[in-house]
Amino acid sequence: MIARRIIVLLLLLGALAEAWPAAQTLVLVVRRDSPVTDLDSVTVRKLFLGVPVLINGTPLRPIRNRSEPHLDEIFLQQIVAMSQPSYDRQILNGVNRQGWLAPSEAASVTRVAAELNANPNAVSFMWERDVAHNPNLRVLRVLWSD
Amino acid sequence: MVRLTHSLWVRMMSVVLIILAALAPLLYLGVSRIVEDGYQERFINSVRAYSRLVADQLEALDAAEFERRAGAVLDGVVLSGQVVFAQIVDGERKIHSSITPALGAASPREDYTFGQSPDQVYYISHQVRRPDHAVVLRLGFDEIPTSERIRATQRHVLLAIGGFVAVSIGLALWLSAVIARPMVLLQESAKRVASGDVHVQLQSHSSIREVAELNLHLERMRQELVGTNEQLTREIAEREASEHKRLTLERRLLHRERIVALGTLAGGVAHEINNIITPILLYAQMALDELPASSDLRADLQRVVESAHRARNLVWRILTFSRQSDTQAPSTVFALRAPVEDALALLRAIVPTNIEVVFRCEAEGVQLTGDPNFVQQVVFNLCTNAHQAMRRDGGRITVTLAAEEDPGEPQLRPGRYGVLEVSDTGEGIDPAALPHIFEPFFTTREVGEGTGLGLSVVHGIVESMGGLITVRSASKLGTTFRVYLPVAVALSNAAGAA
Repeated sequence: MIARRIIVLLLLLGALAEAWPAAQTLVLVVRRDSPVTDLDSVTVRKLFLGVPVLINGTPLRPIRNRSEPHLDEIFLQQIVAMSQPSYDRQILNGVNRQGWLAPSEAASVTRVAAELNANPNAVSFMWERDVAHNPNLRVLRVLWSD
Repeated sequence: MVRLTHSLWVRMMSVVLIILAALAPLLYLGVSRIVEDGYQERFINSVRAYSRLVADQLEALDAAEFERRAGAVLDGVVLSGQVVFAQIVDGERKIHSSITPALGAASPREDYTFGQSPDQVYYISHQVRRPDHAVVLRLGFDEIPTSERIRATQRHVLLAIGGFVAVSIGLALWLSAVIARPMVLLQESAKRVASGDVHVQLQSHSSIREVAELNLHLERMRQELVGTNEQLTREIAEREASEHKRLTLERRLLHRERIVALGTLAGGVAHEINNIITPILLYAQMALDELPASSDLRADLQRVVESAHRARNLVWRILTFSRQSDTQAPSTVFALRAPVEDALALLRAIVPTNIEVVFRCEAEGVQLTGDPNFVQQVVFNLCTNAHQAMRRDGGRITVTLAAEEDPGEPQLRPGRYGVLEVSDTGEGIDPAALPHIFEPFFTTREVGEGTGLGLSVVHGIVESMGGLITVRSASKLGTTFRVYLPVAVALSNAAGAA
């Protein structure tokens, strides 16, 4: 009887632990064997604004993770530090006037991981917890923490 | 009320007001939203860029000076005016700006949209990498100035839209007046035309093509109406004149038939009396001739002869009236003036001195065909009647000779006529007696003062000459007889050729 109560209590605690929002951390990721070792915040901003960033003479390829709306908001506020209309204008401006490439977009974490795996020069961002499910990915730096 | 709502002006204004009532709020909401979005986007863009810049600045600080310079950077950030909260969290340690109180120091949450939290502060956190570990920069931006700018701009938008609505209503009033006024004028003119005043010209003077064309067509309709109305009035007048003329002719025809019937009767009687008188006169004259001059019977026979003569004279006058006289002289062409003057000479001898006789000849050389004695008889009889009408108070008899071409009397054929006019200033003829004056033995005088044959004889003579006699009389003003006699044919032709 006591053992059953303990089991139920443990199950409840487990459920509560699942429901309790864990601390979120946004990280910059690349493929595990990527030549990129580190990027400061200004370079990251340049990268996602379409400015060509070269590592060993090879251009990096930014991938915008659009798997969640909240992630998009953090991207705009923390990484590019712009409003959505300003970011869109900036990208259009770079593409049309400078001939830069716009960052590619991926609508799911799986798609982000696939693109990163396909290109060693690809750089993207995702929740730290998602990186744990992709052993082929490597965290470059923490971008934002809740 | 129903009449008011059906008026053009009210309907146009209603349409404008409905459109404005529907559009003005939409316009305000739309513009407000654009203003709000614009300000918010600008705010978010600037605070994100600024906070990123500060984070980058902190990241670039030398590690040895970080502690000392971080506070100064936070003070500089706060002094920029827009930031109300600046904090660096380094593990358990927190560095604040020295200027602001520890607003939101507990654990401000991240904002992503403008006005997300009721504290009216937009919080942003950035990871600042240091050589050995990372710190968090937290900045709070004041949303109140932007909110106030949004509200102020919205007020301006509201004022502008209010002004727009007011100007639109004013313009709508003016335009509806411009459009409706000519229609109202047209309506008033049409009302007057409908009430019978068809001579009111329809003039709305509108620059609107449709209204101007409507006015033009209505004016044409009015003019056609006026024309038709005038034609109808003219036709009615002509018909009335024709009816009057017909009645006059009918009355004259009846009168003439009555005169002819009377003349026939009187002529038959006169013939019989003449047959009786002739042996009386003849035998009385023979007896008178055979009697000695000293006989007492001569005086009696003389009276018989004189009475027989008077009776013959009477018979002759009756026969003249009935145009059955067998003693007519052969027709000759004579000047009208001569017998008239002869008759007037005789007349002047018998009229009293209180009656003036005036003769005017306005047409010389008028010649007639017939017996001049008849003309003399006509003048004498008419003037005798005139002076008898004025013998008590006196007056003036005016005899005028003239000539007229086609006098306009319906009983006369077209041609040239000599006109003999006899007028007096007497009492006039009683209107009741006027239709009977040409009837034989009709008289208004006392018994024994007249036979009632004078005007009958005149009528008979004029008719026998192919002429016409008319009479016009007014009470207390006198009477005028006009006798139309056809001029001699040869002379008439010569005059017409001339």
